[in-house]
Amino acid sequence: MMKNFVEFDNVYKRYKMGEVMITAADGVTFSINEGEFAVVVGLSGAGKTTVLNILGGIDNCDEGRIMVGGRDISHLSGKDLASYRRYDIGFVFQFYNLIPNLTAKENVELATQICKDSMDADTALDSVGLSQRKNNFPSQLSGGEQQRVSIARALAKKPKLLLCDEPTGALDYNTGKTILKLLQTKCKEDGMTVVLITHNSAITPMANRVISMRSGKVISNVVNPSPMPIEDIEW
Amino acid sequence: MKALKKNVFREIQKTKSRFISILAIIALSTGFFTGVKASSPSMIETGRKYFEDNNLMDIRLVSSVGFDDEDIQKIKEQKNTVDVMPGYTADLIMTKNNIDTVVKVYSLPEKTQTNDKLINEPTLVEGRLPKNEGECVIESYFYNVSDYKIGDTIKFNEKLQNSNTQDIIKNLAYKIVGVVSSPVHITYQRGNTTVGDGSVSFFIMIPSDEFVSERYTNVYLTTSASEEKLTPFGDEYKNRIESQIKDYEELSEERIKNFNDTTLSDAQKKLSDAKKEYSEKKEEAEKKINDGAKKLHDSEQELNDKLLDAEKKLSDGEQELEDGKKELEKAQEEYSVGIEDSKEKLKEAEEQYNSGQEEYRKAKLKYDTEIEKAQSELDSAQTEYYTQYSLFYGTTKPQAEAKLSLVETGTSLCKEGIQKAEERIKELEKNITLEDEAKKEWDELKKKIQEYKDKLKEYETMAKEGRKQLKDGEKQLGDAKDKLDKAKSDFQDGKINGAEQLNNAQIQLDNAQSQLEIGRLEYNTAMTTGMLQLQSAQTKITSSEKELENGRKELYEQKEKGMLALKEAREKLTTGKAEAKKQLSEAEEKLKNAENTISKLNEAKWYVYGRDDNPGYSGLEEDAQRVDNIATVFPVFFLIVAALVCLTTMTRMVEERRTEIGTLKALGYSNRAIAAKYFIYAASAAVLGSIIGAAIGLATLPYIILDTYSMMYTLPATILVIPWESFLFSAGTGLLCTCLVSVIACLKELKIRPATLMRPKSPKPGKRILLEYIPFLWKHMNFTSKVTARNLFRYKARFFMTVIGVAGCTALIIGGLGLKDSIGVIADRQYKEITIYDQIYALSESGTSKEKSYIMSQFHNDERISESLLVSQNWTTVKYGKNNKISLRIIIGENKKQLEKMFILRDRNTHEKIRLDENGVVINERLSQVIGAKLGDNIDFTINDAPYHCKISGITENYAGNCMYMTPAMYQKLTNKETEYNTVYTQIAEDAKENEKDIANDWMGNDDIITVSLLNEQLESITSTLDSLNVIVFVLIICAGLLAIVVLYNLTNINIAERVREIATIKVLGFYNGETANYIYRENTVLTLVGAAVGLPIGTLFTSFIVQAIQMDMVMFPQQVNFISYIIGFALTLAFSLFVNFIMYFKMNKISMVESLKSIE
Repeated sequence: MMKNFVEFDNVYKRYKMGEVMITAADGVTFSINEGEFAVVVGLSGAGKTTVLNILGGIDNCDEGRIMVGGRDISHLSGKDLASYRRYDIGFVFQFYNLIPNLTAKENVELATQICKDSMDADTALDSVGLSQRKNNFPSQLSGGEQQRVSIARALAKKPKLLLCDEPTGALDYNTGKTILKLLQTKCKEDGMTVVLITHNSAITPMANRVISMRSGKVISNVVNPSPMPIEDIEW
Repeated sequence: MKALKKNVFREIQKTKSRFISILAIIALSTGFFTGVKASSPSMIETGRKYFEDNNLMDIRLVSSVGFDDEDIQKIKEQKNTVDVMPGYTADLIMTKNNIDTVVKVYSLPEKTQTNDKLINEPTLVEGRLPKNEGECVIESYFYNVSDYKIGDTIKFNEKLQNSNTQDIIKNLAYKIVGVVSSPVHITYQRGNTTVGDGSVSFFIMIPSDEFVSERYTNVYLTTSASEEKLTPFGDEYKNRIESQIKDYEELSEERIKNFNDTTLSDAQKKLSDAKKEYSEKKEEAEKKINDGAKKLHDSEQELNDKLLDAEKKLSDGEQELEDGKKELEKAQEEYSVGIEDSKEKLKEAEEQYNSGQEEYRKAKLKYDTEIEKAQSELDSAQTEYYTQYSLFYGTTKPQAEAKLSLVETGTSLCKEGIQKAEERIKELEKNITLEDEAKKEWDELKKKIQEYKDKLKEYETMAKEGRKQLKDGEKQLGDAKDKLDKAKSDFQDGKINGAEQLNNAQIQLDNAQSQLEIGRLEYNTAMTTGMLQLQSAQTKITSSEKELENGRKELYEQKEKGMLALKEAREKLTTGKAEAKKQLSEAEEKLKNAENTISKLNEAKWYVYGRDDNPGYSGLEEDAQRVDNIATVFPVFFLIVAALVCLTTMTRMVEERRTEIGTLKALGYSNRAIAAKYFIYAASAAVLGSIIGAAIGLATLPYIILDTYSMMYTLPATILVIPWESFLFSAGTGLLCTCLVSVIACLKELKIRPATLMRPKSPKPGKRILLEYIPFLWKHMNFTSKVTARNLFRYKARFFMTVIGVAGCTALIIGGLGLKDSIGVIADRQYKEITIYDQIYALSESGTSKEKSYIMSQFHNDERISESLLVSQNWTTVKYGKNNKISLRIIIGENKKQLEKMFILRDRNTHEKIRLDENGVVINERLSQVIGAKLGDNIDFTINDAPYHCKISGITENYAGNCMYMTPAMYQKLTNKETEYNTVYTQIAEDAKENEKDIANDWMGNDDIITVSLLNEQLESITSTLDSLNVIVFVLIICAGLLAIVVLYNLTNINIAERVREIATIKVLGFYNGETANYIYRENTVLTLVGAAVGLPIGTLFTSFIVQAIQMDMVMFPQQVNFISYIIGFALTLAFSLFVNFIMYFKMNKISMVESLKSIE
């Protein structure tokens, strides 16, 4: 288990919105160990999505240093960032972002075909419990199922880091719970490092580490030595 | 409402590329349509203005006898006649660089009393107008292409076909002092003529006082129709002029009658004078000729006599020579016979001698053998005899004698013993009684006697034997002796015999020898005598030969002398004849002139022509029509595609703004207010696009297209006419399409309740496509192909739109290239496959086949010319439709076989040969199309103004020019006249091809040839004319490119906009930029390929349409698209598509991945 697997060191990100300069990440510093289930929590506009974007190689930071698995990703070129996303990151979107014109299996294949060492698409779908529906189009799947396909797509790449952007945001309570359960299981059983952002602080007890943010700053970084199983959490 | 307005402008600002793409496609279609549509009216207007400014005549009158001032006055008095100007024209021939060209000479327009505006006013382009005598101005069109300069001189030939140049104009040479263009000639066409090769090359203008004749040849006039500024190609103008022409025709009858009454009698008097003079001169000349002929006859007689004499001598000598020869022959024969005979005899004798010798030799040999044989026989007989003799006397005789003596002794002893024994017995017998002793002794005695008796018997045998032995020996000896004797006699006989035989042979041999001797002698004699005879005959021959030589010499001398005399006489006759002929021809010419005048006067006629008769005048209207045809078909493509583009774009836009529509609706805005935004958006794009497009289109296309035609027309600068109707039509279509589509799309959304609207519209669900049910194909496709295939079929409207747009692009390019191909192929097909002659010689005088046989034989004898064909070639016009005329050549070939070698008459499609026969005429395909006549129909035409009609028995492939072929027999059948030939078509032999010009020049020296035209030169002029259409090809390709780019850009734009989220997602998944682009472009590529493939057949159809549309009356395009053009069309389309992809690549790179995190709107 690598300590400080993910490390943010005084990271700044500023946006210009018309004439106003917004500092979305204002000296963000934190670290996450390998195999941890980390939850970044905060209200809308707290800067958690910015952090996730920078961590996922979707966005660049303006200042600071980000280390992932001992590699500095803060100054990578566009192409290297693409490789980083391709081989190191699995991304689970709030709105699943499945390609509507592809079946569940094909959506997973979309990811596996660009990776060198990828999981078989069927295996990935099996692991999220969707072996029965792999030939359905997204429109034929429920929200929870779609999110599971999305998770399968992310996991199939065998990423070093699984990033989840409000994965339950568009789901109802129970479905959301099953998705979180799936993520927790993946983390526990497969030792996958998961970073999940949410505005719902109620789910923080399930995490190994809770990073709270407000106005682009980390206000606390707490390690939870005994995470609760998701079933026991109510909100 | 203000907020809503702001919303519209913000929307435009925000979606610039979408707005621009709608604007661009509408601009493109409107601009193209308006621009091309403007070309045709601009062309017409440019022409009209030119005609008006230069006061082009409305009607031209031509009279075969000319006009006098009274005629002019009468014409002026006609109603609706505004201004009248008399003038002159003449078609003259000039020779430059050995090539004859026909020049049309006009009198410069002059001011009239009624109007100070010149009719047909020439525009001075360069230099000045003629001031002094012998000056001219030349036309600008020809001036620009020829190497004439101001200051050069145009020099006419002295002789014209039936008259002299100076009977028509005062000078032979005219100095060029200026360059003009005339509204009468607006194209490169200069019309036909009756002189030279029948086509005018260019025209010049000289002051009218340079013309000799007092009577004007032409009268030009303007009518109220043009004074009222009616459009010259309009129906009203045409109708007015038509009725006006009828008025003048009525006037013409009246004036002709007047002319006949006044002028004709004068001419008839002239004729009778001339006739009288002619007959006098003729008589005189005939007398002279007769004298000369008599003299010639005399000297001929003399010569004949002398010749006869000499000939007789000659024949005598010949006879003698003949005799001598005969004798010699005979002697030779005898000699050879004698020699042969004695030779034979000699040979015989020799043979005999030889055989005698042989026989003697044989006889000798035989004798010798026989003698030898006899000798040996004799020797052996002698030896035997001696042997026998010694044996007998030595052995046998003594033996036998000894035996005999022994026998005698024994016998006597025996007899004594017997006697003694018998005596004892008797003794005993006397003593019988003696006893036994006695008895015993008796027995013994008896026994002894027996013994003696036996012994005696033995001796007797022995004696017999000895005797026999002796006797045998004696006999043997006798035999030997006989034998010996015989041999001896034989030998003797043989010897005697042989000698005799030998002797005989010797005699024979001697005989033969003497005979041989005789033969030899005889041979020698024969030889000698023969030789002698021969010699004498030879002598005779020599002498007679000499005699013959003498005779010949004499004959030659006589002949020489006679010839001289004859020549003298002939010369005298020729001079006399020439003199007579000269006088006679002078008289004849006068007579002919007079007769001509009379006949002309008798046939006096006025011809009234409208502007249509000006060469190329109606071509302007046709060309304008042609451009208009193209203008109508092209924009259809553009409009269809524009409508499709607008449809997709606006639908998409409304769909994107769902939430907004829902919000506004929830806020309580009326449907109309909400839809207004999209309506305004679409309308402003359409209106703006139409205006920009039309401005650009009008500023460029009419000028580009008219510039193409400026190569053929001498028109002033283009006057732009804005085709408001077309503009409004295309702009209206664009506006309607965009606005209607957006309003309909908007209304469709508005029907849904606002609550639903505000919720994001679920993206179009994925669907299985048909292809997936064909596992064989589906399984073999890779993952990305599957995605592409699904996406393609997912957006069907877009699919069809892209395919149509791209296909349109390919079709346009192919249409352009196909047009070029079709044009390009004309020259080759026409001049390498259809009309395969090289030169056309115009004869100075036409004549029947018989009359032209001499010149034809000259052509046959020219080795550089492989084929030559005597042709009667005449121009005629055929009327068709309401009031249209088309001019064509009537070609009558003297020889069908050669005609078929130079003019390939065949069906265009089947290439089946068409036979010319006496049942009809063959016309070319274009002519049949223009006049609307089919195979088997009748065609009406004129020959020398006489109308005929005839069945069409064949329609032949031909591209340039119109013609009608018939056989001489058909011509005779039609006209009851023998065909008069005026042209010779030739083919140059393969090895003389490069000397073509030299050949033409050589032939120009021939008095019977008046002009030569080379096919190669015609070919060049046609090719350059057609090359001007290249501009249209260029315009087409540019427009096609623009179309393809706009369509593909727009669609890709929509595609990307719709799939931003998808693209952002796959980027987040780690797709590289290239991979992302491929993910989208694959669809574009497939669509482009499909579209381009669909465009190929459409392009073919399109080509055929354009070709039909621009077809001219005189030229048929073969409609051909080369394979390479398809490839270029395809490749260019792909290139345009790649260009769009290239541009879109950057746009795609700009898509932020953050988009993927946004909620669905």
